Amino acid sequence: MPQPTSLISSDPAPKDNAHRSLATFMSDYGIVVAFIVLCAVLSVVSPYFLGVNNLLNVLRQVSINGVLAIGMTFVILTRGIDLSVGSVMAFAAMVAASFAGTSAGYPLILPILLGLGAGLALGCVNGVMVARFAIPPFVMTLGMLSMARGLTYIYSDGMPISSLSSSFLWLGQGMVAGIPVPVLLFAMVFALAWFTLRYTAFGRYVYAVGGNPAASRLSGIDVRRITFAVYAISGILCGLAGLMIAARTSAALPQAGVAYELDAIAAVVIGGTSLAGGKGRIVGTLFGVLIIGVINNGLDLLGVSSFYQQLVKGAIIVVAVMLDRSRLSNA
Amino acid sequence: MKKVLAGFAASTLAAAIASPAFAADPVRIGAATYGLQGEFMQLWSNALEDHPAVKSGDVEVTVFDGRYDALVQSNQFDSMITRQYDAILFVPIDADACVGPVIQATAAGIPVVGSNTRCNSDQLASFVGSDDVLAGQMVAEEVIDKIGGNGKVVVIEGPIGQSAQVDRAEGIDSVLAEHPGIEVLERRTANWSRAEALSLMENWLTSHQDEIDGVIAQNDEMAIGAIQAIQASGRSLDDIAVAGVDGITDALKAVQQGQMATILQDAAAQAQGALDVALARLGKADALPLSETWTTYPDLAWNDGQDDTYNIPWTVVTNDNVESLLAQRQQ
Repeated sequence: MPQPTSLISSDPAPKDNAHRSLATFMSDYGIVVAFIVLCAVLSVVSPYFLGVNNLLNVLRQVSINGVLAIGMTFVILTRGIDLSVGSVMAFAAMVAASFAGTSAGYPLILPILLGLGAGLALGCVNGVMVARFAIPPFVMTLGMLSMARGLTYIYSDGMPISSLSSSFLWLGQGMVAGIPVPVLLFAMVFALAWFTLRYTAFGRYVYAVGGNPAASRLSGIDVRRITFAVYAISGILCGLAGLMIAARTSAALPQAGVAYELDAIAAVVIGGTSLAGGKGRIVGTLFGVLIIGVINNGLDLLGVSSFYQQLVKGAIIVVAVMLDRSRLSNA
Repeated sequence: MKKVLAGFAASTLAAAIASPAFAADPVRIGAATYGLQGEFMQLWSNALEDHPAVKSGDVEVTVFDGRYDALVQSNQFDSMITRQYDAILFVPIDADACVGPVIQATAAGIPVVGSNTRCNSDQLASFVGSDDVLAGQMVAEEVIDKIGGNGKVVVIEGPIGQSAQVDRAEGIDSVLAEHPGIEVLERRTANWSRAEALSLMENWLTSHQDEIDGVIAQNDEMAIGAIQAIQASGRSLDDIAVAGVDGITDALKAVQQGQMATILQDAAAQAQGALDVALARLGKADALPLSETWTTYPDLAWNDGQDDTYNIPWTVVTNDNVESLLAQRQQ
């Protein structure tokens, strides 16, 4: 198989470059600078912001959106979109919770596998329909958004499932060495995704397929297989997020995760991944997730009305895309 | 969704089996709910299908899912008018948007009985529900009494502008106005959501440390989210009084464990009472009222179903009655 490196329009691992201007530095690391500035401002205006407990709270609060946003990054890198993540997550949470009750007495591994499996299965349906039957991703996952929500109601009869076993709740509320379990799960998923995109052939193909699908096909990349795989990845991560939210709220609620796709997409876009595909970095998504989390947390600490939170979050998305545009036109 | 279809099929089936005994066609009632995603509306619709007249086949009920959208509800009214239902039970999503559909149905000779949520229309045949202003007063009093009339509280609200939020807030405000010793530290919406209230409370516990003495939540889901945040922060629920509204199953369990107070809104009495009133208005009043609503609340005068408003009383859930309420829920 030929090396597709030449097809990659934006190298995920930029090499040392003598004539980098401040502008390119800002567009590569602007997100990090923005994050640091935001944190600096918040630590000045709120004495509690930099407390260890608060920072752990922020990480715990962003971990579910973080896991969804990582799957979303893979999909968006291939020029796709996954609108179904919130609904698929809710379905996976419901399936897992139905085997995690205190009275059921199943071993913890069963709800975990079934939750991940439920997410993976719906992700695979998305993948097959987009890759094999060429249904536009927007349409397919919009359909799945509704279908997965419907399945959630059918499966649960519209009622929440609670009284979950304490071993299952550990996934959302437990601590290991002082770090919340959901944060560790998010960190592991992030590390795995970072390694995959940076160091594996699959990762390079994901960029190649998004950068130029036709050229990728000509150079021997199985575009369909790569496309299928990113939706499957998004699906299984929805499954993981489902386990995390059910364990965090001590219940699987049929209305959980409504509109979560918007925060996941926002994190990816703020992180500088282009909706046109082929460009972006998982580190950017991490900072996108953190920025959204820090804004929500900071405005809560300051007692600012949630109306302003929505205004600020929306404005940041628009500014992020403006930066993305200017980078494209400079390239 | 399955519930709706299953309920429809079941009631049609019941009608088919029972019909030989009754010469007349069954009375056709349309139940327009604002949405079937929450536990409360599930309890409400299930109770409707358990009404004696529905079980006997004299009445056929079709439940509509309004999907939290005033326009969807309006369209469903159009079809109910076209299909000439005998009467409509209406649980509107919005107190003002419901006025038009009520006028149309009334003009077509179909009486509309409101239930649960308010409609600012003078053409409603009657209203059978519970007074949300009173609920606001009761939930605030629960918390204020428990902390001895002095202290600092936070208020977690429903989606700003929804009638239940507006009315419950009015009730809470009226009680707060009578208690100068109570300081409101924060007041924010968590959109009826457990996950949102959980994050919000985590952040407030950070910014106010040990200052918070009480949490007044406008529904139980948000109260439970607050409880989980309090527990996760290592604080004791003996130090913070929490109260919610509705009496969902998880809240009843929390009352049992001494974690919170809640006031129960009787979904079954609202639904079955509304159907009784609708049947009375249709002149099918021979054996009315049929449901247990009127024996459960002897102070609630039936008056041949001719009153404008029937306020189903709220029940404060305490250690004394929680066991029997939970037992009813298990059935």
